[in-house]
Amino acid sequence: MLTFASALENKPHAVGRRRFILGAVLLAGGAALAAVRTSGYDVPEARAATLLALSPWQLVVVEHAARRICAPDRDDDPSIPTADDVDVAGFVDLYVARLPDELRTDVLALFGYVEHVAPLRVGLASRFTRLPPEDQDRVLAAMESSSVDLLRGGFAGLKSLAFMGYYRDPRTWKILGYAGPWVGRPAKGWW
Amino acid sequence: MTVIHGRELTSDVDLDVDAVVIGTGAGGAIALREIARSGAHVVALEEGGHHTTAEFNQREEQMLPILFQDLGGRTTDDLAIRVLQGRGVGGSTIHNTNLCKRIPDEILALWRDRHRVKGAGPDELRPRFEQIEKELSVTEIPAAMRNANNEVLRRGVEKLGWRGGPLKHNRVGCQMSGFCELGCAYNAKQNALKVVLPQALEAGASLYSDVRVRAIAHHGGFVSGVEGVALGARGEEIRKVTIRARLVVLAGSAVGSAALALASGLPDPHQQLGKKLRMHPGAVVAGVFDRELTSVYGVPQSYECTELLSFEEGSKKRIWIVTAFAHPIATAASMSGFGAAHMRSMRDYGKLAVLTAMLHDDTAGQVMLTSDGRPRIRYSLSSDDREQLAKGVVACARILFAAGAREVVVPAVPPVRLRAASELDQLDTSFVRPHGVPLTAVHPMGTLRMGEDPTAAVVKSTGEHHGVRGLFVADGSLFPTSLGGPPQIGIYAMALHLAPHMVAALKTTR
Repeated sequence: MLTFASALENKPHAVGRRRFILGAVLLAGGAALAAVRTSGYDVPEARAATLLALSPWQLVVVEHAARRICAPDRDDDPSIPTADDVDVAGFVDLYVARLPDELRTDVLALFGYVEHVAPLRVGLASRFTRLPPEDQDRVLAAMESSSVDLLRGGFAGLKSLAFMGYYRDPRTWKILGYAGPWVGRPAKGWW
Repeated sequence: MTVIHGRELTSDVDLDVDAVVIGTGAGGAIALREIARSGAHVVALEEGGHHTTAEFNQREEQMLPILFQDLGGRTTDDLAIRVLQGRGVGGSTIHNTNLCKRIPDEILALWRDRHRVKGAGPDELRPRFEQIEKELSVTEIPAAMRNANNEVLRRGVEKLGWRGGPLKHNRVGCQMSGFCELGCAYNAKQNALKVVLPQALEAGASLYSDVRVRAIAHHGGFVSGVEGVALGARGEEIRKVTIRARLVVLAGSAVGSAALALASGLPDPHQQLGKKLRMHPGAVVAGVFDRELTSVYGVPQSYECTELLSFEEGSKKRIWIVTAFAHPIATAASMSGFGAAHMRSMRDYGKLAVLTAMLHDDTAGQVMLTSDGRPRIRYSLSSDDREQLAKGVVACARILFAAGAREVVVPAVPPVRLRAASELDQLDTSFVRPHGVPLTAVHPMGTLRMGEDPTAAVVKSTGEHHGVRGLFVADGSLFPTSLGGPPQIGIYAMALHLAPHMVAALKTTR
């Protein structure tokens, strides 16, 4: 007899290619991973206390990546909000907190990859967050055009998160000439 | 319409009913209504929340996480294809763009002749299409309601002398805001949420939102109910839901239904369950015009190009072209690059027209399970399908140039920027591949296919499972092949067609 319990216990499982390859990539950077340190990231205690999904060091990684992904095209135009102005990393924390467990694990692994392994792939022996902006751009560009499809996919995910955090803010809409929604209702069901 | 919100339950649910319907999109809503109208005691369980017009605030970052699976972040296993699937009372009919096309006669004939689908040919389904189109007020979108992006498509198609035409939608009282994919703030969608589910509840059905079904119970070749959990506001499991029933209707989409069937250990002696997934993956192409188009507003997807689309078996024309303009976040995510160069491109947002080449796919994907029992989608584009997609991308570019685009951009890495249609003749299209260009799929189909041959199909032509009496399927997973067009009307009509079999089964099962 097949019961609820036995049906759940006997469910077929797949070895996920995504997880497998992500794991392999991370292991390939074993030396770096062995030296992973989660100290040395400057996040105010009050800010750290508000985080739902990201640890402080992950927040810093997202902040750095978002600054490059959403970098303004006009350095001399103060009206363009920065990724920090619109708190892209705070939004990403909120979003990641709500993801299903396995997906959240993948996304957090991606942040670890960006910080500790991705720089090595372009010959930079440093954490991503300690690189100057032009080197951070090199790291991100290498991910975007990587011959490893999973890394391209990972970069696309990172980029989507950053742009969702950035272009959600009405202050960014004038860059696009976008007039915004037609209704001004508060959100329900979101936080 | 009174929906019982699972997140507000204060005790476990334990019920004895005649029938349970899992999922409340197009197919589930029809099944629920028809079973309720037969006088049976029927309950629907919906994993997503119950959201209404008052909540649809046209904000991408707030609506995507609420209305789509995995907060809008669902992808194939290899991260190559974004799979946008709805969740919530009303399913994908909440966020779709209201496109209404019947399943082509050629496809229905193919299913009859090659896949041994009995009793669901063009003649049998025609009255079902007519009925649902009337119920949902399906009408052709008049030229006056067409937005600038669709006008670009029409102009380009006509200039090239290609085949195309206006599309039909199910909308009444449309304000032409263009925010359809984020839920209609004006209650103008004649969809499952607005039309069908209220009728079902009026006929006596009950509906629980925020309930995830974890297993279908079956014993000795008969279905006996479902077991699930009510989800709290943040997706946490808060209550047990146990329902015993003689009839279970699975309508959780070709991904969700297949995953649940796998998790439930349904008999699958011929290893067909979850296989032959089709999705209509699409690639976008953008045209930059000299003038402001403001394509973001107005009725989306109201014109189509069918020059590269034919439905006969083995066709080498399997591309359907429609507009694909998106709001800022989705546009930003689709455009190549990042940083200052990306922002420079985004400054052309108002001057963009975007088309998508959607593939009438032959690739056989598969739905599997993750270690935590969630769906995992495997889909590896075949070389034939890749070639079709590449032709589609080129065709989109030709249309945009014909319509007057000063530049056409394919968001590859690096972006392919074209200044004239003549450049297309020499274009190496090998970049059109998974991970080479962003691909999006919105129409999963085919994982619990119907047909009389139990070695090739999971359910019979009646929609009932080949190995489990009383278990029916009523969503896009029934379709033996891709449709080459939007599936919602096909799903509504097929559920209408199968509902009498469900009702009859209630009278004969123990």
